[in-house]
Amino acid sequence: MLEIKDLKASTGDTPILNGLSLSVKAGEVHAIMGPNGSGKSTLAQVIAGHEDYVVTGGSVTYKGEDLLELEPEERAREGIFLGFQYPVEIPGVNNAYLLKAALNARRKHQGKDEVDAFEFLKLAKEKMALLGMDPKFLNRGVNEGFSGGEKKRNEILQMAMLEPELAILDETDSGLDIDALKAVAQGVNALRSPDRAIVLVTHYQRLLDYVEPDVVHVLSGGRILRSGDKSLALELEEKGYDWVREAATA
Amino acid sequence: MIALPLPDKALATAVRELPDNALAANREAALARFLERGFPTTRLEDWKYTDLSAVADISQRWLENGAPTPSAAAIDDRIAAVRGAIDVDWIIICNGAITHSEEGAGSAGLSIATFSELAHVPGFDHPLADLNAALLPDGLHIRVAANTTHERPLGLLVVDGADAQPGVAQARIRIELEEGAQAQFVEYHTSIGDSDHYANSVVELSLATGAAADYVRIQSRDRNHTQTHRTAIRLEASSTIRYSGFDLGGRLIRNDLDIDIAGKEATALVGGLYIADDGQHIDNHIRIDHRVGPARSIQEYRGILGGRCRCVWNGKALVQAGADGTDAEQSNHNLLLSDRAEIDAKPELEIYADEVKCSHGTTVGQLDDAALFYLRSRGLDQQAARRMLTRAFGASIVTHSPVAIAADHLSEMVEQRISRLADGEQA
Repeated sequence: MLEIKDLKASTGDTPILNGLSLSVKAGEVHAIMGPNGSGKSTLAQVIAGHEDYVVTGGSVTYKGEDLLELEPEERAREGIFLGFQYPVEIPGVNNAYLLKAALNARRKHQGKDEVDAFEFLKLAKEKMALLGMDPKFLNRGVNEGFSGGEKKRNEILQMAMLEPELAILDETDSGLDIDALKAVAQGVNALRSPDRAIVLVTHYQRLLDYVEPDVVHVLSGGRILRSGDKSLALELEEKGYDWVREAATA
Repeated sequence: MIALPLPDKALATAVRELPDNALAANREAALARFLERGFPTTRLEDWKYTDLSAVADISQRWLENGAPTPSAAAIDDRIAAVRGAIDVDWIIICNGAITHSEEGAGSAGLSIATFSELAHVPGFDHPLADLNAALLPDGLHIRVAANTTHERPLGLLVVDGADAQPGVAQARIRIELEEGAQAQFVEYHTSIGDSDHYANSVVELSLATGAAADYVRIQSRDRNHTQTHRTAIRLEASSTIRYSGFDLGGRLIRNDLDIDIAGKEATALVGGLYIADDGQHIDNHIRIDHRVGPARSIQEYRGILGGRCRCVWNGKALVQAGADGTDAEQSNHNLLLSDRAEIDAKPELEIYADEVKCSHGTTVGQLDDAALFYLRSRGLDQQAARRMLTRAFGASIVTHSPVAIAADHLSEMVEQRISRLADGEQA
């Protein structure tokens, strides 16, 4: 589904990704772990198409197409979803309004009929119940005055509504209490299917207790140093990131 | 030069050719005062950013043509369109002439008359108000009787047309709410025609003890036309005004809103949204005079600017000695969608009392790149994302607009303007 080869990317004059390769197949859940500044978030932003990051080498193909040719909105309509580490507050834009516009942009692209207000509300309330979200969040400004946990739940709600083929969750677990963490995990697990792939970018192993990854990668210095099964995450938790770095340079 | 003059003789002739009614003597007095001072110029602090040369020029050409009553063929269509858009009882001031045949005359407690019928003489305190009084055929006088609530909002439509030659028109409205009276108003300014036009209007609103008014002013003049507009509101004890002004059209627009807090526990909640693009100049000056306290005033204005345009916002709160317990807030936020748009924003607090709570804040910014990317990452294209954020910027002023019946039309007009602005500035 997603094939990244020797990807190099910079912001300004600073190179951040230095030849990163990664292959994600439909049906898989990957966890990308790594210390601060290793390039985890940059990778997520580059896949989503953020203009601040310039790709200086390598390739990214998604469903067999050159992903880097597409605008951010085209990527979203093609089924890519980025769960933001820091979801943006947008006062004055109604949460329900954005959700409906996003859903219909995707449906239109898929050749499906747009949902009307009634269908939308029914669907939204269903997904919110699943995530333990109060329906009143629909009528608030996007992330406006939301707590950290509420923002992350809202990201998962958007993901649940849009049913992406490739979901990348950038530190969605950070700063969550245990209830919010479970709700997020539940949302992710509900999305798991043979047709979809999920990439969890995370600093800690905690989320992986609730969402079991098929593959774990360790990112450092803008490259994947090591990949393994879920036991790698536990090993990391125990030994720290220096252990991987030392092993890589040895 | 501190004044832009008009030709004395031509102006005097224009004044003398107006209908001979109870206002005639007052017109002469007002004329003499105006001739002494002329139009204010940019040498005056209050007029630093707004040059009325264009207004003086239109007036001069109008006088040279013999000061004809302006007209436009399609004006009835425009009136019908406004009537169709907002369902209130309309009183119409068309090219300076008042018609009030079908408004809620049957409603108890509401009296509507002309100045000449009441022998009411308009006062004057400013060159533009003098010019208005000098050239005014007649004024509109509205009174809401004590302790009555006029349920159905009253519409005041000031509509002007200038098809063939430059036009100048005056409008003057005085509204009195007696003790405990309550009413809602929609003041609507619009114009059509390819020729230049200058509208000069004055609205006086007086709220007696315990009275309450909800007031929306909508200005959507032709993009070629100019207007100077003065609103003076006097608040007696425990009265409340909720006022919103929307400036969507016009070439050169200057609004002065003066609020006189004359009674304790009075409340003035004023807000506005101005949307300007290529070739527009929109200036809002607000002055709230807290003469007594406790009393509260809030000013909340927002501007959306695109293309090559200039807007001015000057919000002043003056707290007089002894007006303790005053609570005055001001905020003005501006969204610049173009690097050729200019805003001159100036909040002013002048405080002579001891126990007051005053605050002000002004911001000028652009669309937030992070928010744009967030929306695009959700599948919205650049255009839809820009529109959504621009709309969101003005949303609070539109949703808090006090007269519900005008809300749909207002949202629609704002939406149209915003769509054009947000799209026009895309790379």
